[in-house]
Amino acid sequence: MRQQGSAPIKPLKTIGHPTARIDGVERVTGKATYTGDVRLPGMLYARVLRSPHPHAQIRRIDVSRALALPGVKAILTHENCKVVWGAGSISGGQQYDDEIKKITKHRRYAFNNPVRFVGDPVAAVAAVNRHVAEEAVRLIQVDYEILNFVLDPEEALKPGAVQIWPEGNLSLDARNQAQPQVARRGNIEEGLRTADHVFEDRYTTTLVHNAQMEPRACIAGWDGDKLTLYTPTQGISNCRTDTARDLGIPPENVHVICHYMGGGFGNKNQNQDADLITAMLAKEAGAPVKLEFTRKDDFIGVHGRWPTIQYYKVGVNRDGTLKAIQLRGYSGMGPYRKNTGAIGGIELYQCPNIERVVYPVYTNKTVSGNFRGPEYPQGFFGIESMMDDVAYKLGMDPVDFVLKNMTRKAGDEVPYTNYSLEDCIRRGAEAFEWKKRWHPQPGSDRGPVKRGAGLAFMAFRSALGRSSAVIRLDAKGRYTLFVGVTDVGPGAKTTMAMIAAEALGVPLSTIEVVWGDSDRCPYSVGESGSRTTIQTGYAVIQAAEALKAQIAEKGLPKGEDVRIGSATPNPTLPGKVRAAFGAHFVEVEVDTELGHARVLKYLTVHDCGRIMNPLTAISQIKGGATMGIGMALHEDLLYDRRTGQPLTAGFYGARILTHRDAPEIEVIFIESDDGYGPYGAKSIGESSKVPAVAAVANAVFNAIGRRMKDLPITRDKILGALA
Amino acid sequence: MSKNRSKKKISRREFLEGTGTAFAVAAAAPTVEAQRAAIHPAAGEAGAVEMPRTRIRLMVNGVERRVEVEDRWTLVELLRDHLELTGTKIGCDRGECGACTVLLDGRPVYSCSNLAVWADGRSIQTVEGLAQGERLDPLQRAFIERDGPQCGFCTSGQLMSAKALLNRNPHPTAEEVRAAMTGNLCRCSNYNRYVEAVLSAATMPPTARTPRNGTGGAR
Repeated sequence: MRQQGSAPIKPLKTIGHPTARIDGVERVTGKATYTGDVRLPGMLYARVLRSPHPHAQIRRIDVSRALALPGVKAILTHENCKVVWGAGSISGGQQYDDEIKKITKHRRYAFNNPVRFVGDPVAAVAAVNRHVAEEAVRLIQVDYEILNFVLDPEEALKPGAVQIWPEGNLSLDARNQAQPQVARRGNIEEGLRTADHVFEDRYTTTLVHNAQMEPRACIAGWDGDKLTLYTPTQGISNCRTDTARDLGIPPENVHVICHYMGGGFGNKNQNQDADLITAMLAKEAGAPVKLEFTRKDDFIGVHGRWPTIQYYKVGVNRDGTLKAIQLRGYSGMGPYRKNTGAIGGIELYQCPNIERVVYPVYTNKTVSGNFRGPEYPQGFFGIESMMDDVAYKLGMDPVDFVLKNMTRKAGDEVPYTNYSLEDCIRRGAEAFEWKKRWHPQPGSDRGPVKRGAGLAFMAFRSALGRSSAVIRLDAKGRYTLFVGVTDVGPGAKTTMAMIAAEALGVPLSTIEVVWGDSDRCPYSVGESGSRTTIQTGYAVIQAAEALKAQIAEKGLPKGEDVRIGSATPNPTLPGKVRAAFGAHFVEVEVDTELGHARVLKYLTVHDCGRIMNPLTAISQIKGGATMGIGMALHEDLLYDRRTGQPLTAGFYGARILTHRDAPEIEVIFIESDDGYGPYGAKSIGESSKVPAVAAVANAVFNAIGRRMKDLPITRDKILGALA
Repeated sequence: MSKNRSKKKISRREFLEGTGTAFAVAAAAPTVEAQRAAIHPAAGEAGAVEMPRTRIRLMVNGVERRVEVEDRWTLVELLRDHLELTGTKIGCDRGECGACTVLLDGRPVYSCSNLAVWADGRSIQTVEGLAQGERLDPLQRAFIERDGPQCGFCTSGQLMSAKALLNRNPHPTAEEVRAAMTGNLCRCSNYNRYVEAVLSAATMPPTARTPRNGTGGAR
């Protein structure tokens, strides 16, 4: 599919053709080695004891009976392990660095006292096998002084709420300031005052877990003062730097290995407390240690998507022109601020007067952090539900409302490198047969089973940036590409090999990839922010150019000679913004007697620039959209308000989608080449999830005529709205 | 101690052991020839207290294996830690996700929810047993061509459930595929691809050439 109304993109030889993964055989034969599959000689097994209380002071820990158990080799608690986990909090969503480490007031340790959520690590045990480690954990006796707790971010800011940190519950940023995030443009009061209509509403989203299939594991071994870590990380370079900083050793003394990784979706960025705990246990025990998280550990001990409360006020004229958008938002961060807590979405609309005030708030739920489009699926659900509602109230078709008000320049000012949002929406509406499926009167189907259609759209960053690659050619004509990527699922390894083959003009089969090993590979940006293809892919092209220049100068290598090309480009983009665009169209069917909603048809249109590998790119879109359906209709890490206990910490409890829940996702690409990135590639991974939740919710409204304002849209809520 | 213990939650492992006993009694254990090894009071594995062990005999991927297993080991522990068959994955270790699916006498089971001793006298097939030498099973070929695995962690389980389905129903409908594999979660949510792949494998000749890595994907 080429971009409508513009020149078709130039076809390439390898790039753009559906290509099975270069490690497909390993993936289907059980030969692909994941972290948990690694076993080192003399390796011990570790387990973590976690806080059973949402908030408590540890008065005393008695590990004597655990230590006396035959086979126990090391035990760590807050008393004998003072390591600070930098990436675990305290940087307020900024990259933790030496400066922040020095000044921050809210330090998160590997083991904390007080403990501040159910799941906060209290102790860790290394023993000769996992059964002994499990038994030893049960023998540790902890005397807790139970403290009051708070789960809801709005309640946490009220006077008299329990103070989780001495400075209060409004989370500190990297400069120790307790302030909301504020963005303003124009004059919000004036915009609201002069608008024909002002609409107000409140939307909420819940804590949902990344729930990647591979539970966290880590294997650490020391050789003198050099640490080797096998760990599932979405960025071996960042993991190495962070771990070295936390342990106070030079980065070159940390060797991080992660080849295959069983999904992360943001849950495995940077380094994790598991890495630090395992490394310290291995040091204490004088032997390599493997720490295995249970599924529950993974659900409550790492992080999920931050829950939000969003209050909107929208000023709009009778003809549908937006005059003002105001958001007051609250994000529940858990007791440590692992990420920004931002709420995205207002920027999707052209509007002269904007005010966004978002409070990132400490609570005693498990920590919030990155999850596929960190601040967008929840924010887009809020704002795109709100705007959908405004369209109906003005008597406008939501498609027309979107076409009238959607972003055309970033922040209404900076031009995009290319712009295809209008194409995405028009083409999607046509392919979906919007006019046929959408009901001008919501809820107007006769009978108890009602159908409806909804849409949502997105723009998502596709910025350029620094990364590195090295390519070596030997005399036999074999190319070895060294890239510091981890293959977390989208197929980075295959994509990098395809880019190298294209740039060198050689067959894909001549490229071997060395990846996932921080001692063998150069810096790579990490598999987060949908940036690997853009940044490391561009570095591969530059390394190929360097290699070609070598060959032109010195000729092909002979005998034992090799030629090596390397590059660390850091391209910038002054005066323009790169974004991926897309629109999702959904038809649902709601059984109004049972309250059950199911997706009948799901069509996506995406401009992700040039598609490197249509086979894997389509999988990415399908997967993200399907995940979004889960967030819209089912997923919820529920907490008991009386006890502060997580109730649904597991796949079934949190209601992850199954084969039977997943509809067919139709994928249309509008390809473009804006001249930046590797052959015009833009971001994909997160794009497909961010509009999905809003699209499903809007379709439910069209079906039943009731606006569902609180995620997830479960049966009880549908029946309640219809009662 | 025992008072404290009785108040605690029963662990999954203890629960399995309990139900296992009940199962063995109810089934009158006709096939179980297991001999209970003596409990050694002496220290075992590098200083740990030796646990009750049982000698079992089982077929794994067509090869007979005789192993002395700790009674508390799950089947997936036996496969991964002691038979070095790490292709079978542990996603939840509590019967929720299906990543550990293997075939037990041809039927798909969660190997995290079976004790190793229960496999005595029985036949196990794991993902490592799908290919015939270098020749991949049609399901494996189809999984590559249709891009079934994204992160790949659930793939072994998906393959084994699909294998059990095709063994009993060589030409399933899409709905039958979804029903048979609904116990196999995929958080990459590549469900469309997995269903496509199984339907495609059902129409493949079993002797087709194994594709090389990096070639021949379908859209």
